[in-house]
Amino acid sequence: MPTKRNSRRRFIRNAGLATAGAFIAPYILPSGRLFAQSGTRLVNHVVFVLFAGGIRQQESVEQGYLADQNIPYTGNLMENMLNGAPPPSSSLLYNRWQPILNQPLVAQGTLFREMRYTSGPTGHYNGHTAAITGNYTNNGVDLNINPDFPTLFEYYRKHNSPEKSAINAWWLSEGLGPYPALNFSRHGMYGPQYGANYFRPASTFGYVGLNHLADGVDFQPDDVEKIRVIKNYLDANFNLTASDLPGIINNTADRDQIEAFIKQTLQQSQLNNIPFPMPPGTGSGEINGDLYNIAYAWQVLNQLTPELVVINTFNSDTCHSNFTGYCQNLHKADYGVGWLWNKIQSHPILANDTIMICMPDHGRNAEPNNIYDNNGLRAYDHTSDENSRRVFSLIVGPPNKVKQNQVLGSISNPVGETIDIVPTIAHILGFNEAIPSGLLPGSPLLEAFV
Amino acid sequence: MQDSKPTIILLLLLCSLFGACKRDIFEKRIYDNVIYEVNPVTLYLNNAQKTKQKTSLQYISILYTNLYNQTIPSQKLNELSEVFLSIGDKGIANSLTLNRFLSQSDVQIPSNQQMRDDIPMFVSNTYLKFYLRNPTPYESYQLNKMISDDPDITPEMIYAAFALSNEYNFY
Repeated sequence: MPTKRNSRRRFIRNAGLATAGAFIAPYILPSGRLFAQSGTRLVNHVVFVLFAGGIRQQESVEQGYLADQNIPYTGNLMENMLNGAPPPSSSLLYNRWQPILNQPLVAQGTLFREMRYTSGPTGHYNGHTAAITGNYTNNGVDLNINPDFPTLFEYYRKHNSPEKSAINAWWLSEGLGPYPALNFSRHGMYGPQYGANYFRPASTFGYVGLNHLADGVDFQPDDVEKIRVIKNYLDANFNLTASDLPGIINNTADRDQIEAFIKQTLQQSQLNNIPFPMPPGTGSGEINGDLYNIAYAWQVLNQLTPELVVINTFNSDTCHSNFTGYCQNLHKADYGVGWLWNKIQSHPILANDTIMICMPDHGRNAEPNNIYDNNGLRAYDHTSDENSRRVFSLIVGPPNKVKQNQVLGSISNPVGETIDIVPTIAHILGFNEAIPSGLLPGSPLLEAFV
Repeated sequence: MQDSKPTIILLLLLCSLFGACKRDIFEKRIYDNVIYEVNPVTLYLNNAQKTKQKTSLQYISILYTNLYNQTIPSQKLNELSEVFLSIGDKGIANSLTLNRFLSQSDVQIPSNQQMRDDIPMFVSNTYLKFYLRNPTPYESYQLNKMISDDPDITPEMIYAAFALSNEYNFY
């Protein structure tokens, strides 16, 4: 017969279990386990290109070119990604580059021709956050804070078995502003210990990087070890650690490798040995921020062969005031994507083991603003109208993994949302089932895969 | 003659009276207290007083001051701030920036000869420069020994270790 004291103990124990259950239950996996092992992978490398800056469907997948300017010229500005003939040469307001790919990427994968950016303002930070966290957000662009929900990088690093170190996950942005904050979240179950490495190549390897990082003292490995020994001795006499440095912290081996990579890449930059995604013979004046970012993303892929890389392009956002520049930059970004895919397919580790996903952060308005560019073409903003919620997505990869030459969705029947990319990548890299339920409202775009 | 006697006595009295009021002024120079137009810095009594972590900007500007004995120019600070923003792992940014600082010809580092001529003085000065405190006897002994025992250790290595240490990241 239970005594009064035993009853109280039992009550406390049961209450504790019930409380713990209430917290844990939302995160129990469909399989009934709290933390699942990572599952089968489709491939071992994913490159996600946020083909960003706000791209209208009209000038991208619909190939309308100047039609919405009331000029009857249409054609394909994105010849490396999409099927379709370019605009008539007599109508070209941009410098057309011959495609670098023999066949457009759509022939090597699945095009989600009509997807939705369903909720939240169609701002760049919002669009990036939705794509990288798989959750829409109302947080504004000026906050410059890490997102509330875990990022793709954190899911990837935490839910792979064994856990992945940060050298396997990279986020490279065309600009600074709020974007450096997207490599990890403020979520209590994740955070910087699961974040991605980050570069803004135009700064790290551009003018300021060359001015302030290149040509440093090159301590030899023995010297580095001696420095480490002395540092360890000094640290042993101090009871705090500099673990609160803002951002992620790599383990020692990865840090050495990344430092060596930066030094070597700075040297190659000084020698003008970095290949840029441009047709042969093109002057360096044609390099824009997008091409710069893609060029250095390739350096990271080529030398570090990470499993997960997210990069963005951004220059098409000039559409706020310069429609001609928008067309030019859209065309260049398309070339850059084709160039990057070509490089990946020539790499001994990445070839046939990489899936690439391209998607704009959001669309742009249906109606122009009041600004005309030098060619008299009207500019477009992105202020959350229905047109700015329309996007596309292109998923390409090996034919035994990704359905080839498939086009899904229409304006009357959209397929997928921008928040579906995170679970899609989780599916590709085999950890989708391990992500606790309740964190990702989207679903993998399974239609793309064999 | 008898009439002049009181006058002389009076003069002597007056002289002694005014002489007693005279004040000698000495100029005293204490060379230990000479001020070289540098802001005074309060030394820490021990490292337990350091509890706050430096921001990246604080780290860069203090490191520059420690290595160049001058304030970092604002343009350089702005550019370095951009570099730091562009690298996710701030420890890597710290290390690369330090290596760059150490490579410049105008960096103020004692030569290897100067260090080895008076290792205790070098150790003491390095603690003061980077940690703003004196080393404990144990710290002093250990670092002295490390340097004495290894002829390949250079002042640059010692400076690098201090600049990358945890304590240097706090104030």
